[in-house]
Amino acid sequence: MKPLKIGITGVRGIVGETFTPELAVGFAQAFGTYLDGGRILICRDTRASGPMIRSAVIAGLLSVGCEVVDLGVCPTPSMQLAVKWLEADGAIAITAGHNPWQWNALKFVRGDGLYLNSTQAEELLDIFHQAEFAKATWDTIKQAIKYENPIGEHIKVLQRAFAVEAIRSRRIVVAVDCCNGACSMLSPLWLESLGCAVLAVNNDPTAAFPHAPEPRPETMAQLCAVVKAGHADIGFAHDADGERLGIVTELGVPLSEERTLALAAEIRLQLKSGVVVTNISTTGAIERIAARYAGSVVRTRVGQAYISEGMIEHNGVLGGEGSGGITVPEVHLTHDSAAAIGLLLERLARTREPVSELVEQLPQLTILKHNIAVEPNRLYSVLQDFRTAVEREQLVYDSLDGLKVTLPKGWIHVRASNTESMIRIIAEADDAQDARDLLDWVRDSLSR
Amino acid sequence: MRAIPTLKISISGVRGVIGESLTPGLLTRFAQAFGTYISSGTVVIGRDPRTSGEMVKQAVIAGILSSGSRVLDIGMCPVPTIQLVVRRRRAYGGIAITASHNPAEWNALKFIGPNGLFLNSGQAREMLDIYHQGEYTKVASAEIRTVEEVAGATDLHIRAILETLGPLPKTPKRLRVVLDACNGAGSLVGPQLLEALGAEVISINVTPNGSFPRPAEPLAENLGDLCAAVKEHGADIGFAQDMDADRLAVVSEQGVPIGEDYTLVLAAIYVLGCELGPVVANLSTTSALEEVAKRFGCPIFLTKIGEVNVTEEMQKQNAVIGGEGNGGVIYPRINFARDSLVGMALILHLLAQKNLSVSELLNDFPHYAMVKEKLVCPSHKLAAVSKMLREAYAGYPRDARDGIKVTLPNGWFLVRGSNTEPVIRVVGEAKTQGEARAIVASVRAKVEACLG
Repeated sequence: MKPLKIGITGVRGIVGETFTPELAVGFAQAFGTYLDGGRILICRDTRASGPMIRSAVIAGLLSVGCEVVDLGVCPTPSMQLAVKWLEADGAIAITAGHNPWQWNALKFVRGDGLYLNSTQAEELLDIFHQAEFAKATWDTIKQAIKYENPIGEHIKVLQRAFAVEAIRSRRIVVAVDCCNGACSMLSPLWLESLGCAVLAVNNDPTAAFPHAPEPRPETMAQLCAVVKAGHADIGFAHDADGERLGIVTELGVPLSEERTLALAAEIRLQLKSGVVVTNISTTGAIERIAARYAGSVVRTRVGQAYISEGMIEHNGVLGGEGSGGITVPEVHLTHDSAAAIGLLLERLARTREPVSELVEQLPQLTILKHNIAVEPNRLYSVLQDFRTAVEREQLVYDSLDGLKVTLPKGWIHVRASNTESMIRIIAEADDAQDARDLLDWVRDSLSR
Repeated sequence: MRAIPTLKISISGVRGVIGESLTPGLLTRFAQAFGTYISSGTVVIGRDPRTSGEMVKQAVIAGILSSGSRVLDIGMCPVPTIQLVVRRRRAYGGIAITASHNPAEWNALKFIGPNGLFLNSGQAREMLDIYHQGEYTKVASAEIRTVEEVAGATDLHIRAILETLGPLPKTPKRLRVVLDACNGAGSLVGPQLLEALGAEVISINVTPNGSFPRPAEPLAENLGDLCAAVKEHGADIGFAQDMDADRLAVVSEQGVPIGEDYTLVLAAIYVLGCELGPVVANLSTTSALEEVAKRFGCPIFLTKIGEVNVTEEMQKQNAVIGGEGNGGVIYPRINFARDSLVGMALILHLLAQKNLSVSELLNDFPHYAMVKEKLVCPSHKLAAVSKMLREAYAGYPRDARDGIKVTLPNGWFLVRGSNTEPVIRVVGEAKTQGEARAIVASVRAKVEACLG
């Protein structure tokens, strides 16, 4: 079977296979019908299929009577902020985030700039499947597309949220790898406005991704080299649409993407204690950091919409996920790698403590991640078999999202990916060997 | 009777009503089918000013890109401009987004092949098979090509006309022209062309905003404003275009529509006066055109109805001029397409060269009157009607290539089923209005009797 994921995070697939223009047209019609017309923003990342999907989405939106404002190539969070100042009723981001080049996806944003929650996503899917869409007539259809650039407004909002003058006065040297993605349009400008000396690589939005657009240590080799050669104070790696952030220390050492939230929590809670909202798959280091500052942690299901809802419900001071997505509520209640950059640079400016030393203060846990590709039609039966095995052994588990099993030496989490046809396994323990043992145990159980 | 569907998928393309049958999903699939058919080359797209034009265009772009083709978007422009650009840029094909003379709620896709001609019936059937089969070429992300927005396509068109025909020769008084562009795709091009030729131009209905100031078909009954403007300004001639600027109608210096058939007659007089050669038109064209050809000693060939049938025959016969009786002038030195801009340039050159008025020019040729009617006829009765007419007019020359055309001692008539409605159309022509009416009335009576 070929991969196509239609679910609560939107619709995602491989262009040329499952992700067809008709599908994009249909989802745009469904979304416009769901919102009952109104003004809809669209943006895209830098994938070569972006203009094709863009046209399909515009056609679908216009046909149901929507007004379309095209923000062109920009980070998704830039568009999420623009929903407010452009007084839009919703938005569609054309991006497959961290997925490889051949993928694309539609992500649906509602009138407050946040992603549709799971109930709303279900409602949208029902409309899509029923396929009875609104139809504008010749005298009600909107005749033209409008264009806006949201980058300047995004930077203004960021500047209000952080101590810009303090950062400027430090003239921090920053290396940044935009992966030739949408952050090429934002990140260098944002850093320059903070008075940083910017060493930007892969910031050509017309070029292909130089590596997987997933900020993990294995994709950050080039960035590490730039940090070392340029004597940078810190290095940042972006995904394709400006949600996830990876970090390289001043020594040129790439950090696990799990460390991004841990660092942000350490910085944030020290200044302002409160609730950190994260998903059940993210490192347990967050609880230990929260304990240092009398903060607390709320765990949600995996997916940005759940983090946003948790932030609202618990009045969180920070949100984020182990994948490197950080939510800073002073900017907005959704992942924004530019906001994460602001948080980190503010700390560097304030304490002059090198990143590597800050990292040493974090709880040292070993977290291992492993994916197993599974045919889409078998994903959930494989998970069910695992659950049966866990129940047979009478282990303590949490079934909020997939299965999280807490064991004496650590924990494991097994779930179906929201975005690809695979099972994601995460194991974490204080001791590296224990983590490996936990991971092996899950892999063996699943393959039985 | 059941309702007539508003979606028409045929060898002339796909046509439907916005908000009913012409959905973006359907349009995208058609564009994918076309991209698949032309095996992923460059496709030129352009549109008329209808309010649904942007939606339709985006759906088409998505489908074409997905099939691995490149898009040249030439924006709002006449259909013949798209056809010209397809040939000049050596594109693999084109898609014209226009429902030509249909009202504002309609839109359509018309498919153009690599030579700038509309797909002929065989090619159109091949493409429709791909559409219905639903298996389209889908390229991977890395092979998706780009959309190039091309400005100035209409300038290219104007230049092509001026380079071929030159500016108007000096006349004692500059020719004064009133143009009614029906707020169509020709709104911004026509006035420029006329001025570039050296005429004095008064324009009406040149705001291409999707509104229809009159029914788009340039029939005499729709040209009241133009006739009034010609009289008011003391103009030498009035021109009326349709929404996609392929058809052209002429109003004389007296403010009287001369009839759509005579557009091609005037153009042919000029062209044959410059250069002798074959003339091609469809079966439903006025005998006046045959008179013109005869006077210049040139052969005339009549084809089935439909632009592509005429253009293909023109290529085969190496014709110097051709067209259709509905106001479509095809002048191959510029474009193998019905082209109202070319038509205007040819007719103005004729006026300037002869230094005669439109009425004087037409008086030089015998006049014919044409009468057109339509009758409701269920499709299963068409064969019976055809058999009856063959028998009833057994003694007269007949042509059965497209409906049935019978040549009578004092004129001719043509009876054919419509492709778009359950009706048959009856066209009759004779030297006088009375005779033409009599021919049509007699045919009509026979058909009605046959239908029972």
